[in-house]
Amino acid sequence: MSDTSFAIETHGITRDFDSRKGFLFREVTHTEALRGIDLTVERGSIFGLLGPNGAGKTTLVKILSTLLLPTRGQAFVLGHDVVRETNWLRPRMGLVLGGERGLYNRINARENLRYFADLYGVPLSERDRRINEVLARVELEWAADRRVEEYSRGMKQKLHIARGILHRPEILFLDEPTIGLDPKSAREMRKLIRSLVADGVTIFLTTHYMFEAEELCPQLAVLSKGRIVAKDTVANLRHLVGGDRTLEAEAYGFDDREVAVLKDLPGVSKILTEEFGPVSRLTLRLRTSETGAEQVRAALPNHAELAVRERRTSLEDVYLDLVEEEAR
Amino acid sequence: METAVGHYSRTRVTYSALRLSVLQFLADPQWLVPSMIAPVIFALVSFQLFRGAGPYFLTYAILGAGMMSMWGQTLYGSGWATGQDREFGTLEPTIQAPTPYLYVVLGRVLWNVISGLVGGGIVYAVILVVAGGPPPVINPVAFAFLFVFVMVTLASVGVIFSAFYVYTRYAGFIQNIGEFAFYIGTGCMFPVVLLPFYTNPISLVFPPTWGLDALRYLSIPGYHGFAWGFWWDLAGAVGTTAVYLATAGFVFHRVERHVLEVGNLSYY
Repeated sequence: MSDTSFAIETHGITRDFDSRKGFLFREVTHTEALRGIDLTVERGSIFGLLGPNGAGKTTLVKILSTLLLPTRGQAFVLGHDVVRETNWLRPRMGLVLGGERGLYNRINARENLRYFADLYGVPLSERDRRINEVLARVELEWAADRRVEEYSRGMKQKLHIARGILHRPEILFLDEPTIGLDPKSAREMRKLIRSLVADGVTIFLTTHYMFEAEELCPQLAVLSKGRIVAKDTVANLRHLVGGDRTLEAEAYGFDDREVAVLKDLPGVSKILTEEFGPVSRLTLRLRTSETGAEQVRAALPNHAELAVRERRTSLEDVYLDLVEEEAR
Repeated sequence: METAVGHYSRTRVTYSALRLSVLQFLADPQWLVPSMIAPVIFALVSFQLFRGAGPYFLTYAILGAGMMSMWGQTLYGSGWATGQDREFGTLEPTIQAPTPYLYVVLGRVLWNVISGLVGGGIVYAVILVVAGGPPPVINPVAFAFLFVFVMVTLASVGVIFSAFYVYTRYAGFIQNIGEFAFYIGTGCMFPVVLLPFYTNPISLVFPPTWGLDALRYLSIPGYHGFAWGFWWDLAGAVGTTAVYLATAGFVFHRVERHVLEVGNLSYY
């Protein structure tokens, strides 16, 4: 047991996979899914984990939720070792892997929840009340007696959440809970997640959606190729990638001298170059407010066609900068 | 929401898994074929083929062929159910729950034993009607008790088979290959004494081999099995079943550890 007051604490978590193919001539492919993850998550908070496909998000969730053993390193959830203290941990954690699978489709939602309530030892005297309570919470009571196979994707996702909170866990792992949901359902899901945190549940959330992470998570980490490339608040991450203001300048090509001039403008911390056919885009990250659209136009007098836009650096910018930097 | 820690009960989980099996059985009528309809068809075919071969041989044939599929349901049902857990994606949340998976499997095995017995009852009723009376058995009461016990011996193998389905997604492939070898090896199709001597050690590892041989002692006058008589068969059946059931907890513990190491629970 760790003395920590953190909900999650990991030290150098590494996970390797060997995949084999071929029958007569076996070919073994070695993959390092996680490479030394050090992480802490405060109790009672929402922690977001961002990362591209294959970054290792689900692998980390599975290790933390006791479904997978790390190859090396140690992880503690609620102060307890995820490898050695699974009996203590499992009743206290909820896991929502989501998607179309993971439910008994031919029986109804109520029976699905009843079965898992028994597996989690929800007291018999409370079981039916608790099932009604979670169904109401995810707004599925009207469909409780319908077979799960008749459910839409969003309804299944809600049912996954209902199962995850049925035994009143102290920590809930949500692996891409809004993937594939329509905007209305996704918004309801986010509302539900916020209400769970208000009740004191720690949420560990993985997502692809930047606005979702920005809206929900005071703290987040970006995972790329099995490494945490950044971990902080959204505001601090903006500074990490060069500032919370962004200017985009578009024209038919910029030369190196022009880029160098822009780099010398006050507050410019970073310039990214992209090509869209004949159009070039320069993205300037700005740490201060001294440089604006006017200054950029003045620095590029030879481009009559120049279009300059100013906006706040989004989490998506931060994410792409970090992931692309790691890829380089 | 106030957090709370529940304490699972093994009996409750076993009952809940049995209940889930019943609900799935009722929701998916395809299981009626192997568990209820196929045994009747095989029993009727055996009856038609062997009705002129003497009353005890008829009983023997019904035992061997008519109930083979029913036994198959008892034996393989548990493994299939775990294979379905893989397919449905429910294996991960079930393994992640605080209850050892073994108790879920026990509930399913219990249901398969019950459905096997119901199938046996139906076969018996059909033979009663078709043959105009019960098939001759030397000691019907002992036969009935032993029949139930043979189901338990099959179930004990079913529990271990189920562990293979947790271990690997290829368990179905292995089971399908091994199915007829198992039927032949355990004497479901014909007595083990007819098999080459060198296959006997393999046969004796399976509890149903002993149980089925004991059943034949009770149903066919003058039968000589592979062991030294009925009581040795019975002791062998009880002993091997006890070993299977006693090691089941250890086997599941090891298998659960293995799947957490390799991370193949979501593969199907």
